[in-house]
Amino acid sequence: MARTSVKKSGWIGRIFFADLLAGLRLTLRYMFSHPVTHRYPDHEKWVPYPRHRGHHFIKTNEEGDVNCVACELCSQICPCDCITVIPFENEKGDRRPQVFDINLARCLYCGLCEDACPADAIKLGQEYEVACDDRPKLVVHLEDLVAAPRKAEDGGQLRPARLQPDGSGRSVEAAGAKSQGQDWWRHIRKGK
Amino acid sequence: MDSLLTLLPMLVKMAIVVGVLLLLPLPLTWMERKIAAHIQQRPGPMRVGWHGLLQPLADALKLLTKEDHIPADADRRLFAMAPVVALVPPFLVFTAIPFGTPVQLFGQEVTLMISDMNVGLLFILAVSGIGVFGTILAGWSSNSKYAVLGSLRSIAQMISYEIPMGFSVIGVVMLAQSMNLSQIVAAQEGLWNIVLQPIGFFVFFVAGLAEAQRIPFDLPEAEGDLGAGYHTEYSGIRFSLFMLAEYLVVVMLAALNVLLFFGGWNGAPPFVPEPVWFLLKVGFFVWVFMWFRFTFPRYRYDQLMTIGWKVLLPLSLLNILVSGLWML
Repeated sequence: MARTSVKKSGWIGRIFFADLLAGLRLTLRYMFSHPVTHRYPDHEKWVPYPRHRGHHFIKTNEEGDVNCVACELCSQICPCDCITVIPFENEKGDRRPQVFDINLARCLYCGLCEDACPADAIKLGQEYEVACDDRPKLVVHLEDLVAAPRKAEDGGQLRPARLQPDGSGRSVEAAGAKSQGQDWWRHIRKGK
Repeated sequence: MDSLLTLLPMLVKMAIVVGVLLLLPLPLTWMERKIAAHIQQRPGPMRVGWHGLLQPLADALKLLTKEDHIPADADRRLFAMAPVVALVPPFLVFTAIPFGTPVQLFGQEVTLMISDMNVGLLFILAVSGIGVFGTILAGWSSNSKYAVLGSLRSIAQMISYEIPMGFSVIGVVMLAQSMNLSQIVAAQEGLWNIVLQPIGFFVFFVAGLAEAQRIPFDLPEAEGDLGAGYHTEYSGIRFSLFMLAEYLVVVMLAALNVLLFFGGWNGAPPFVPEPVWFLLKVGFFVWVFMWFRFTFPRYRYDQLMTIGWKVLLPLSLLNILVSGLWML
């Protein structure tokens, strides 16, 4: 931007430092814009967009039964081989997973399992705080996957949050506080 | 008793100026960090106090509790002396800087400056020239490559830029027919010098940036190539003395810009006291210095010398010539 304005203004522009003034104008505009920094984790928390690929979850039907038919397509397509599925036949005669383990430490969150699933069961959700101090804890089981947070339908916003007091380092949304609204970043630089 | 009465206002004024100058870097570091942050779309310090207002205090505590380390091969006496030598000139300069017209206080006329010197401007230029000794001593006594290179650069830079700086104020002195700073301000009652001396202001401002070793002329402490320049080996309280001196030089140059080219305390809006108006202007210039700092990259060393000797010096001489012809 600075270069082109100098070219246009020629030698008069160079005498009056058009390039330097362009730089100063830019930084002045930034000085009076909103900061983009998230005050994570103890003041604000980012709720990711619905397309975000985070911690997996498994959908359930109206009867509370998992959608998964244990076809093992997800574990077949998984590029890092982190899904273990062992099928069994339940009392209704349906094929269901007896074991459904995902090793989050190996997973690369590509979302291929979600694409491959014929039963609309495994999805990648909004949860992204999966750090912990013990590797075996990163292998999540069927009940964890059923209980895991879903996709954030109202994602793409910054919500007031506070640090969870149990020392896990997780951030939880503060109750009763108002969010900054969806697409808050669009208002950072007004007019552009 | 009589001499005590004349001495007392002087002592009070000195105590106020020294106290304010010692505490000034605290808000200035906060301001600098906030301005840097907002230019880069960050919030800056937010945790210590409201919007990080107590951050400078935390920083000061940290600096004071750091180990006071002197390198093994350093010249210990000079090493200990250098920060103090660097700190004295900026303090001395403020003896000559006026903050407003004399006021009536307790039936006595009190001037708002420590010393009303007839050669105030000359005194300021001379004393701020001594500041380079602190840098020389620090660089030499550290016995470190980075420090010596940094101080060599800074000596060359400060000596080259003092010349255009001195020449650029000659136009102002010619207009005011005086080197007394309060008379220079009084001479700008109707029209500020910035209108009559735009080239002088430009040269003074740029040379001032170089004198204060601010970006874009901060070669003496270019982090990328020199570590931290002449104060690479300093830590703790001694380092903070250098920081203090640097901030005071910035404030001094902002004050000089206001006094010489922006009418000092002239043109105060109604109900604003003159000293407050003057300090507001100084604050504005400090802000401009910080704005420049986070906008521009650093000049190369040869470019720095080219600007000083081939651009600023001829410009300042031309300014003197034009002022002289205009006054004829």
